[in-house]
Amino acid sequence: MKVVPSRSSEWVRPVTPKKPASAIIEIDGVSQVFQTSARKDHLALSDISLTIEEGAFVSILGPSGCGKSTLLYIVGGFVSPTSGAAKMKGQAITGPGPDRGPVFQEFALFPWKTVLGNVMYGPRQQGVRAAEAEAQSRALIEMVGLKGYENFYPKELSGGMKQRVALARTLAYHPEVLLMDEPFGALDAHTRTRLQNDLLNIWERDRKTVLFVTHSVDEAVFLSDKVVMMSKSPGRIREVIDIDLPRPRRRNELLLDPRYQKYVVDIERMFDEVDETGSVS
Amino acid sequence: MISPLALARRAAPMFACIGLLAVWQIASLALKNDSFPTAIEAIRAIPDILGDKESLINILASLRRMAIGFGIAVLVSIPLGLLMGRSRAVAAFFNPLLMVIYPVPKAALMPIIMLWLGVGDITKTLVIFLGVSLPVIYHSFEGAKAVEEKMLWSGAAMGLSLLQRLIRIVLPAALPEILTGCRTGLVLALITMITSEMIARQSGAGNILFNALDMGQYDTVYAMIIIVGAMGICLDAIFERVRARLVRWSEPQFDMPLSFS
Ligand SMILES: Nc1ncnc2c1ncn2[C@@H]1O[C@H](COP(=O)(O)OP(=O)(O)OP(=O)(O)O)[C@@H](O)[C@H]1O
Ligand SMILES: [Mg+2]
Repeated sequence: MKVVPSRSSEWVRPVTPKKPASAIIEIDGVSQVFQTSARKDHLALSDISLTIEEGAFVSILGPSGCGKSTLLYIVGGFVSPTSGAAKMKGQAITGPGPDRGPVFQEFALFPWKTVLGNVMYGPRQQGVRAAEAEAQSRALIEMVGLKGYENFYPKELSGGMKQRVALARTLAYHPEVLLMDEPFGALDAHTRTRLQNDLLNIWERDRKTVLFVTHSVDEAVFLSDKVVMMSKSPGRIREVIDIDLPRPRRRNELLLDPRYQKYVVDIERMFDEVDETGSVS
Repeated sequence: MISPLALARRAAPMFACIGLLAVWQIASLALKNDSFPTAIEAIRAIPDILGDKESLINILASLRRMAIGFGIAVLVSIPLGLLMGRSRAVAAFFNPLLMVIYPVPKAALMPIIMLWLGVGDITKTLVIFLGVSLPVIYHSFEGAKAVEEKMLWSGAAMGLSLLQRLIRIVLPAALPEILTGCRTGLVLALITMITSEMIARQSGAGNILFNALDMGQYDTVYAMIIIVGAMGICLDAIFERVRARLVRWSEPQFDMPLSFS
């Protein structure tokens, strides 16, 4: 659990210089250049530095094309940055690993596996015995609200259901960090709200570190401890906003909470600015 | 419950066969040509061929060569195609070679192969192998290339190694495409089988056919064509069953509506 130190305790505790002991992911001066077909090099990310604390829910918000996905892929180890480095628990990230579980916007389920087969895939790969993996996976499938669909193939599921399977599949191998790329972006408003609530419930239960990419300001404020606002061309971090709202959060309470409303209004204004001016200013 | 429509669909190939035979029968009766026996005469000759031990051995030898050629081709081509689809270096290495071989009729290579390897089983099996390989490589290549990158990333995050990803993600994901290639390959195997026996006349179904032609036994010629054709249809039907079962997960759920009225 993330403890926000009160002023008095700050005096009592020895202040660890620079990086806090609880940092799980450190992104240090990361830049990403893409060779585009139009023969010009494209600077997608420029000098990104960000520290994510263990157990924190951090959202990355920014206009389309500002490099949110790219940043997530770098942390996942799927893409290696042109310069700079990302670290997980002090170790340089050199490739993907089961400590960082991605949930892609495209779902990327294995279409030849049933729902159960998809969710069991990770644990089985990790050497969990079949019976045990199956029991755990069934419990997870129930948790994401898909009980009864265990033997369905992905093509037989709706978009929202696929997204739930994708989340369960990643949770099944217990990554320490969840990397979610606009997981609810393609869903209708109602399903989206439900999945947000479900995700918060799951997260409040075991407090995994979450790096969550989104387009939606309310989604970011509702879910996060921290919102990272990015700007475009080149992709830069514009602002990091701490969201100081009590947990557990209930949607119906929060929507009426003036502090929540202020966060949303402020961040929306910032988003507009970023969208208009980019990083050039 | 089987709907009348489904029943009609299932019976359709049979009606097609009967229709074809009827047209044949009428055309043959109309033309009254010695070298064009009626369908009934040709069908009557079938039991004679299948009852003859020598013919049967010949046909089985053909099938055996075909099975071996097809089997080895599939075992080599699928891994090669998958590797080419996932590695630009492997594709760059093999593509020029395949581009040269692709348009060459494999039977045209037979004289050269015969010079090296004789007229025996090896030559014929090799020609079948060549005929089957290319479509299987091509479809495996296309299938592997189309595998969604995020699927591979998901696997990598679960700890699958490069080889595991190739076998456990690329292979199943590309399977529908691979099996399409194999189906084409199977028909090509039959074609190259007969052609090879036509060129290296020594044994086999193709040899029976052309011997009968030499001797003017036209009903036997036509009976052999029916037998070979039936073999092709049966093999294809069996393969299609297996294929449909293996890739049930990928079949489209709805028919494309041909009209919206
Ligand atoms: N493989 C690639 N090759 C070339 N350019 C790329 C590649 N991937 C991303 N880019 C470029 O990098 C920039 C950032 O892309 P990215 O997908 O990270 O943006 P994003 O913030 O996730 O956008 P969105 O919100 O639309 O998903 C874009 O301008 C894109 O054109
Ligand atoms: Mg994106």
